[in-house]
Amino acid sequence: MFNLIVNEWIKIFNRKGTYVMIAILLLSAIGLGVLTKMIGETDQNPDWKKELMQENKDMKEQLKGVNNPALEKSYERSTAINEYRIKHDLPEDGDYSALSFISDASSTIPLLGLFVITVAAGIVANEFNWGTVKLLVIRPISRFKILLAKYFTVLLFALALLFILFASAGITGLALFGAGDGSQVHLAYADGTVEEKSLLLHLAGSYLLNSISLLMMATMAFMISAVFRNSSLAVGISIFLLAMGGTVTNLLATKFDWVKYILFANTDLTQYFDGSPLVSDMTLGFSIVVLAVYFIVFHVLAFGAFTKRDIAS
Amino acid sequence: METLLELKNVSKTIRGKKIIDGLSFDVRAGEIFGFLGPNGAGKTTTIRMIVGHMNITAGEIAVCGVSVKENFEKAARHIGAIVENPELYKFLTGYQNLQQYARMTKGVTKQKIDEIVELVGLKNRINDKVKTYSLGMRQRLGLAQSLLHDPKLLILDEPTNGLDPAGIREIRDHLRKLTRERGMAVIVSSHLLSEMELMCDRIAIIQNGKLRDIQHVHGPARDEKKRYYIQADDNQALMREAAAFKKMKVDEAEGGIELSLQKDEVPDLIKHLSDNGVRLYEVKAVNKSLEDRFLEITAEKEEAQHV
Repeated sequence: MFNLIVNEWIKIFNRKGTYVMIAILLLSAIGLGVLTKMIGETDQNPDWKKELMQENKDMKEQLKGVNNPALEKSYERSTAINEYRIKHDLPEDGDYSALSFISDASSTIPLLGLFVITVAAGIVANEFNWGTVKLLVIRPISRFKILLAKYFTVLLFALALLFILFASAGITGLALFGAGDGSQVHLAYADGTVEEKSLLLHLAGSYLLNSISLLMMATMAFMISAVFRNSSLAVGISIFLLAMGGTVTNLLATKFDWVKYILFANTDLTQYFDGSPLVSDMTLGFSIVVLAVYFIVFHVLAFGAFTKRDIAS
Repeated sequence: METLLELKNVSKTIRGKKIIDGLSFDVRAGEIFGFLGPNGAGKTTTIRMIVGHMNITAGEIAVCGVSVKENFEKAARHIGAIVENPELYKFLTGYQNLQQYARMTKGVTKQKIDEIVELVGLKNRINDKVKTYSLGMRQRLGLAQSLLHDPKLLILDEPTNGLDPAGIREIRDHLRKLTRERGMAVIVSSHLLSEMELMCDRIAIIQNGKLRDIQHVHGPARDEKKRYYIQADDNQALMREAAAFKKMKVDEAEGGIELSLQKDEVPDLIKHLSDNGVRLYEVKAVNKSLEDRFLEITAEKEEAQHV
């Protein structure tokens, strides 16, 4: 098994595309840092409390005219956090440190997800496109093991990219913003109240939760790759679903209750810790069960298709 | 001789269509076994079932006595193969490609890889990326990957495709060596009949998924009859006299006649014809090429099917 994973790893890291991905990831982490630094340079507005109040007022005004539950929820959260800041004297652009930056850099995880999906979608289908699958499956190794090694390689690749992102964001953050004193807090909004949370905990949590959605998307792309055996199709469908899935689900969520069973309604687990669930009766346990069911279904499809079906030119 | 590959009543149905129908044959150690048939006859499908690309609908395939259906991993250990064109990882070097396959089978050492590289004559280019290789070099690399784990059964689909005459000769010599010295069995499929004739010991002819015939390539035995072509000034007299000689069946041929004779009978027939006033211009043995035999066999069966 170890040898099989080494093989897959070599195949990934002997292609230029992989290095382009890593370069883009590094650049975006550094770029985000430089950008944050430039914007943050402007002196702190001494009237920040007034500004936040004005913001809240504006949001209230905007909500009067329209009937949009999604927008309402998002404004509700912003308003509550703003009020909390005013009350507890916590300016938005308080001490910004490396840790805050790493936390902000988690916003590039969808980009990372895109790269992982590209690799996951190609890892099986490419062998078919290249014709190399013919020499791959005649080895004295079951197809099940070959596919399992490929899946593990996708997971390892995702971990490697996460590590690169984390490390580059950490170094950029340290260089530009300093280590900070570790006293910063993250304001989370859940169940209608604002809570102060340790930033470090929040950071670990957001990377972890984002990784779960990454895992699900990668597994889906992997399944499409094994079932359709065509890399352009697999990459296309996966990226389309990644781009549209969330948006469409959010739109549908305002109208229908069954939306809660859709994969994309459940991939973002942060909704239970910071914000409010998409459909009101969804719980963390419910989402975990839904994700587990999708995960199993994806694997049954992928392994079934790869191990049972004939390989014909 | 030890039987290395055994097909028993193998059938393959794809989407309700019978592609292979009750195919049975054995391949023994030390022989080069040819696989011949018109396009779409089922050669590649059969090969794909042996190497585990396709499920076997019915029947049994055993490699070194191990069922491919029941214990693929064990059976595959004895098989080395190129299926259709040798498609390798173009973005890797030849050596990296071989390493990929070496990691997938236990006991393939670095020395072994080097030895095989030397054998197929790729030493100078082995560290270049495969995308810079010519078709012939890819074919050599394909052969190298199939030999890495010392298989007992080597299956080559169109092995001479893209090779120059010297390369073809070289492959032929390799295969001879592998079968004679190491006791391997080689299955070769090719559409180049003359190539097959030079290379193979036995040739199976398949058509419409059925085995038509298995031919020994190296000629009939001594006392077997051969075809002879005879030309004379008066073909009618020739026909009459030849027919009178031992009451033989004589066929008309272009500008003369054709008949089957044992070697010993040839001088007697010539004497008989000369004595009876037939002036002979030409008497020659007709060496039926494999191509003729192939066309003959496939055409016969085709006709039989249409009746």
